[in-house]
Amino acid sequence: MFECKDVAEEASNYLEGDLPLGKRIGLFFHIVICSCCRAYIQQIRQTIRTVGVVKPREQANVDTQALAEQLRALSKKDS
Amino acid sequence: MKKNHASASTDEKTLIAKLIEGDAAAFEFVVTEYHSIMLAVSRAIVGEAFADEVVQDAWISAIKALPNFEGRSSLKTWLLHITSNGAKTRLRRESRQLSLDDGWQAEPGSKFDHTGHRIDDVLPWNVDTPEALLENDQLRQVIEHSYQQLPANQRAVLTMYDMEGFEMTEICNILDLSSSNARVLLHRARTALHHSIDKYRES
Repeated sequence: MFECKDVAEEASNYLEGDLPLGKRIGLFFHIVICSCCRAYIQQIRQTIRTVGVVKPREQANVDTQALAEQLRALSKKDS
Repeated sequence: MKKNHASASTDEKTLIAKLIEGDAAAFEFVVTEYHSIMLAVSRAIVGEAFADEVVQDAWISAIKALPNFEGRSSLKTWLLHITSNGAKTRLRRESRQLSLDDGWQAEPGSKFDHTGHRIDDVLPWNVDTPEALLENDQLRQVIEHSYQQLPANQRAVLTMYDMEGFEMTEICNILDLSSSNARVLLHRARTALHHSIDKYRES
């Protein structure tokens, strides 16, 4: 018998379809009868899509132009 | 990669040719596009202290090896493998160990009763699209901030899987993770970001 806590722990694997069949079916039936878990799964799905839109990047203390120029100079030296 | 269209491969061949020719705009493009994800991979493997150095060395190795690039993978995947190899070598040298065990829980235990049921109701977010959710600009900042707070290995897996569309096997290969560990890291990252969005929406 699967509970809300199991859904919270397996939400990503559930959404990716990466679970053994028995567990997937068990979670599915729990989600069908539990509105909280339906909402939770919807929120995780929205989170994934939203992060994909925001696309946060690593904090980097690098001058992109300067690095590009250094690499270009290096490539010319090597060729 | 999930997406591998013929046009993308042609574009990439042109890009590589321009890099070999020494085209300044091409160099700026690749650094802008790929430096961040290379840094994510490096930080995930070797940690903050040596990450910048590893990426710098990876760029130099890549530029030197570029004329021999055979295009068996995308340029991005190739760059990430060079970064990953450099980071792993550095890690061995520094003998540092990274641990997955940071006392993580999907959600605080206090949200569930002793039977594992939720104590409080969860209500669906009343928005259908990310754009609607992001109507408030502050939420974007909340997500950015929450992302920066994630451990480096979670940021790397999340970036590669949810933003860049890498296959899980490729991620495991590049980051030297088992499939189950990579999935745990992905879920932890998603859960942390979900938590920050949910908290913001409640406030």
